[in-house]
Amino acid sequence: MADSNKWGMVVDIDRCTGCQGCVVACQAENNIPINLEEHFNQRRAIQWIRIERYWEGEYPNVKARFIPIMCQHCGNAPCEPVCPVYATYHNDEGMNVQVYNRCIGTRFCANGCPYHIRFFNFWEPEWPESLKNQLNPDVTVRSRGIMEKCSFCVQRIQRSTREAERDGVDLEDGDRGLNPACVNACATNSIIFGNFNDPNSEVSIIKEKEMKEGGRGYGLLENLGTDPNVIYLKKVDESVEVGHGH
Amino acid sequence: MIPGDFQPKKPTGTQLAKLGVLGAVLLGVFIVVVLLLTFVISSWLGQPVIFAREAPDQPIAFPHETHVKELGMDCTFCHRTVEKEAAASVPATGLCMTCHSAVGDELESISKMRSLYEDGRSIHWVRVHRVPDHVHFVHEAHIRYFSEKEGTEAKEVCATCHGDVASMDKVEQVRPLKMGDCVSCHKQNNAPTDCATCHY
Repeated sequence: MADSNKWGMVVDIDRCTGCQGCVVACQAENNIPINLEEHFNQRRAIQWIRIERYWEGEYPNVKARFIPIMCQHCGNAPCEPVCPVYATYHNDEGMNVQVYNRCIGTRFCANGCPYHIRFFNFWEPEWPESLKNQLNPDVTVRSRGIMEKCSFCVQRIQRSTREAERDGVDLEDGDRGLNPACVNACATNSIIFGNFNDPNSEVSIIKEKEMKEGGRGYGLLENLGTDPNVIYLKKVDESVEVGHGH
Repeated sequence: MIPGDFQPKKPTGTQLAKLGVLGAVLLGVFIVVVLLLTFVISSWLGQPVIFAREAPDQPIAFPHETHVKELGMDCTFCHRTVEKEAAASVPATGLCMTCHSAVGDELESISKMRSLYEDGRSIHWVRVHRVPDHVHFVHEAHIRYFSEKEGTEAKEVCATCHGDVASMDKVEQVRPLKMGDCVSCHKQNNAPTDCATCHY
């Protein structure tokens, strides 16, 4: 393992079936309140990871395209410089961190984010009585009035790091205790998590192979210069030529 | 009356009474605000000057002194998970019963604990040390670090934050446990001060 970690993800669009397993796993892991229909209608639903669906082609050759979108943990994040209280900042592990107790809810960061993955708590979060005991004790329940977003399941990273230190071993690439909930839940392994600073990690190998000319890799909206830490691998399609990038 | 001569109107009795009441109310508000400010500022600093929080009364007056000083039990004997997990657990009454099924017959608190045990109920201890929900403190990592650093056993390390619990009549908080307290200790020990170390 490298001295300092640079956490990142690879999302293989070709494998994604749009099953929403990652969305549910994230909802459960990160104490995300239940989104009602009216929350979606008001565009105020909270989904740290969401699956965007696009229809392509004309009947009868219609294809559904799915793209899971979570916080891209941009190296050059548009959300960070606009925060007046430094509630969102970049840590030395390449992650864009949201500090809930600092946030005062100006929502500047959400306006700056081109991926629309920052969510504001418009209400005090509520769960039915039967679900109160399933809340994850390792994750803060965000109260009304603050922003939240995908944290790359930082609680799992912290715990794995601590346990590896305790046992005197290195963090293992692809360890299920380290992987974010969405990665563990993905039935087709279309999301892979790992350390880009470790040249032998799976994500580094894929990045090396696919980000070259002619490879399938691209960054979401990379023309904006956000330098995302999530790499997408475009769909392999024999009949339709898919353009490079977005 | 000479023109220009100013004769102030004498206030009537009701006006005087109104002014008096207003003055008293304002004085009261002023005193309340000052007291509140003193309380807020001093409790923020860690030691409330007024309404100081005393050590809470526990449902069973558990004598740490008897168990730790006289019997020489380790902290980790009862707070079992403290060396392995984030939380330092409070034991179930079943653990108490390993000894107290035989000893302590004459004490009222023991019979109270036994009746709870027989009913399958737990003791509702009053929590003494609490950090806010957005802070994730892990006992295991801290105990491991300090016991390695000082070359001592885990039980010697507890006093760093919790004070000398063994000689406390009622357990009370001895350190402010504010963020400044955490951060200064982290800096002294070269521990990470990244926000995501504790806040997530």
